[in-house]
Amino acid sequence: MFAYDLRLALDSMKRHPGLSALMVLAIALGIAVCTVTFTIYHAMATNPIPDKSSQLYAVTLDTWSAERPYDDEKPEIPPQLLTYRDAMYLHGAEAAPRSVVMYKSGALLVPERTGVKPFNAELRVTSHEFFPMFDVPFQYGQGWDATADQGPQPVVVLSHETNEKVFGGENSVGRTVKLGKNEYRVVGVLRPWAPSPKFFDLNNGSFEDPEDAYIPYGWGKTLELPVYGNTNCWKPEGGETYQDFLNSECIWLQFWAELPTAADRDKYQAFVDNYARSQKAAGRMPRPLNNRLYDVAQWLDRNEVVQRDNRVLIGIALMFLGVCLVNVVGLLLAKFLNAAPLTGLRRALGASRRDIVRQHMMEVLVIGLAGGVLGLLLAVGGLAGIRAIYSSDFTRSSYERLTEIDPVVVLITLGLSLLAGVIAGLYPSWRIGRTAPAVYLKTQ
Amino acid sequence: MDIKPILSSLRRSPTGAILVSLQIALALAIVVNSLFIIVQRFEKVNRDPGIDVPNIFFVGWVPATDKFQGEVTIREDLAVLRSLPGVVAATVVNAVPLSGGGSSTSMYTEPNEKGRRGDMNYFQVDEQGLDTFGVKLAEGRNFDATMVTKPARNSSTSPAGILVTRDVARDMFPGESALGKTIYTGTSQPVTILGIIDRMHGSWPGWDKVGNVALFPVISDETFARYMVRARPGQRDSVMKAAEDALSKVDNGRVILRVRSQEYVAATTYADDRAMATYLGVVIALLLGISALGIFGLAAFNVSTRTKQIGTRRAVGARRSDILRYFLVENWLITTAGVVVGCVLALLLGYWLSTTFELPRLKLYYLVVGVGVLWVVSLVAALRPARRASMVSPAIATRTV
Repeated sequence: MFAYDLRLALDSMKRHPGLSALMVLAIALGIAVCTVTFTIYHAMATNPIPDKSSQLYAVTLDTWSAERPYDDEKPEIPPQLLTYRDAMYLHGAEAAPRSVVMYKSGALLVPERTGVKPFNAELRVTSHEFFPMFDVPFQYGQGWDATADQGPQPVVVLSHETNEKVFGGENSVGRTVKLGKNEYRVVGVLRPWAPSPKFFDLNNGSFEDPEDAYIPYGWGKTLELPVYGNTNCWKPEGGETYQDFLNSECIWLQFWAELPTAADRDKYQAFVDNYARSQKAAGRMPRPLNNRLYDVAQWLDRNEVVQRDNRVLIGIALMFLGVCLVNVVGLLLAKFLNAAPLTGLRRALGASRRDIVRQHMMEVLVIGLAGGVLGLLLAVGGLAGIRAIYSSDFTRSSYERLTEIDPVVVLITLGLSLLAGVIAGLYPSWRIGRTAPAVYLKTQ
Repeated sequence: MDIKPILSSLRRSPTGAILVSLQIALALAIVVNSLFIIVQRFEKVNRDPGIDVPNIFFVGWVPATDKFQGEVTIREDLAVLRSLPGVVAATVVNAVPLSGGGSSTSMYTEPNEKGRRGDMNYFQVDEQGLDTFGVKLAEGRNFDATMVTKPARNSSTSPAGILVTRDVARDMFPGESALGKTIYTGTSQPVTILGIIDRMHGSWPGWDKVGNVALFPVISDETFARYMVRARPGQRDSVMKAAEDALSKVDNGRVILRVRSQEYVAATTYADDRAMATYLGVVIALLLGISALGIFGLAAFNVSTRTKQIGTRRAVGARRSDILRYFLVENWLITTAGVVVGCVLALLLGYWLSTTFELPRLKLYYLVVGVGVLWVVSLVAALRPARRASMVSPAIATRTV
């Protein structure tokens, strides 16, 4: 039965090769545009840490000015960064099972190996909880502990890529690297690790690579390391020294807490609110009490990681597919009705209505599937094109990440093309199935 | 031309016509809104930033050893850059325009944060800053070398005199000249406006106050300092190479990281906008192509199935031009029904985009353009099948199929 239906379908397609090709092309283009758009959207909307997504919370406090909100467009949200003193208090209070305070910095990395040029390494200056909290995988060695943060001890964790570049990929634990003017002992080397989006720090772009190296948080203050992310200040401070900066209302630190259960979360919210109330009593934090904990998904949403443009494009791509489908429906209908005398003959010879519908649907599915496969090929080409045109030195890794076609999208595409075929074929097949054989036999 | 027979024939079997109309309607809605977005992006990318984009480049560096001596080293490097042939001007600067990274502050017309507020994206430059950016001074004068200071790293001491753009001047002193006026920092330090820059874009192209820029006579802290050089027209690339070579030969405790042109920075910043415009452009082209093919395919198909009718009409006296006109008018009616529905759809889509994504409202003249384009596309697509129909010989009528 299947083989017979398939042969009928192929015969029918061969009878009008131009028209059949046109339908395949229409579906292929619709699918290709959707696949390209979905691929980029999917990469942007992916949860970078699915296992712990609802246990990790970005902690925000509204420490902004009484006069105006942090974000004029969204006055209800608190700023995404913390002041030094608030971050230090929250971290020191240990009210969460685990919390991490950190920021992005950088320093000149001078490799001990000759022949490797010094380069400006991006640093994450972070407390030791970073590695266990974010499930960071180690290839060699491990992170550091609380005493190393406080010391601070001259230890460093290298990214996989930095270890490749500086030590040729060998186990470098125990070796030293020079960052700026100081020497640090390597205690750990990461496996290749690049959560995308880079949820734990969205300041410098959502799809950036993680930093080249990680050093204990205490070094930030000791060496007065510069802030590579954002520093925002609302209050005129008139400070002269680094200590003045640390005491100021300027925000620049990222703070995350790990809260495994809803009860932990509620308890932590109460703790943060209590702290904020005490600060209000001391004359700080003039805005209404507004401290928010965002889990990873909420955090990505709050920071608009999926850009507006991409949501618009999803809408336009679906409408484009709609146009292609309407196009195919019209062509199918014309084609089927043109072949109605033949169908009439087959009906007269004993084919049931159901047979007729099934046979026509088979043709539609073949067209849909062919369109899907062709569309997928076009999409792969299109994504390669986007990569080639838009990746520069700055944006290469992010465009590569965003234009990588993944199995989920391939499955969705093929499913979509079959679905598209069915939707496009239903009406024409049903219509032709209703053909009264007598009408067509008479005209023969 | 009597359109009654066309209408009655369409009424008899409306499905095909409805499908074509629907397709045209959807296509119009997408084309009009996409075109609108594309034009907005082009306007954004092609704004005049005021600075001499094609001839400026930046040298990134970091201090590496104890040989580095802050201001002394920086001045040494600037002297090297300024002595190169082909260099118009060079300065040290804290940020790169249009790069997305920079610093901003607010000043007020009265002390203690009172009066009108002016937000400004500031660039710390020396006396050659104005020339290096290549921006024009509309009023007042540039600061001279004696006014350039190097405050301590975390000091919030402000310079005594600054240059601001017209945009800042307008925010702070609407309707009067800001030149020579004293304004105040958040900590109430007085600052004099020495000159007004005609036009200059700052670090953040997405900011609605991208033109609110100020130049401070300050040598930036080495954490963020880089050199900015303006070359003579056409010599940028050779000067970039020469600058890197010359600076690398001087061993004064800093390492040169990279040399990048302003053009490259601007292209990177606007890459997303260009990508969006190109993507939508491709979608429009594909959409018009697929619609035209669909109309062509259906029309050709209809003509081939109606061959006998056409022959009969020819046999009873219709001229070739009558047949041609019949099909073109039929096509025009279907298209027009489609664009009428399409206009409504386009407005709905535009409304949805503007409310959901806070985009500007669709301008109505885009509809006119879209309708015109679809009329032409549809006419062109139907022309060949209609011509073929008119070629049908009257003798066909006498044959059985």
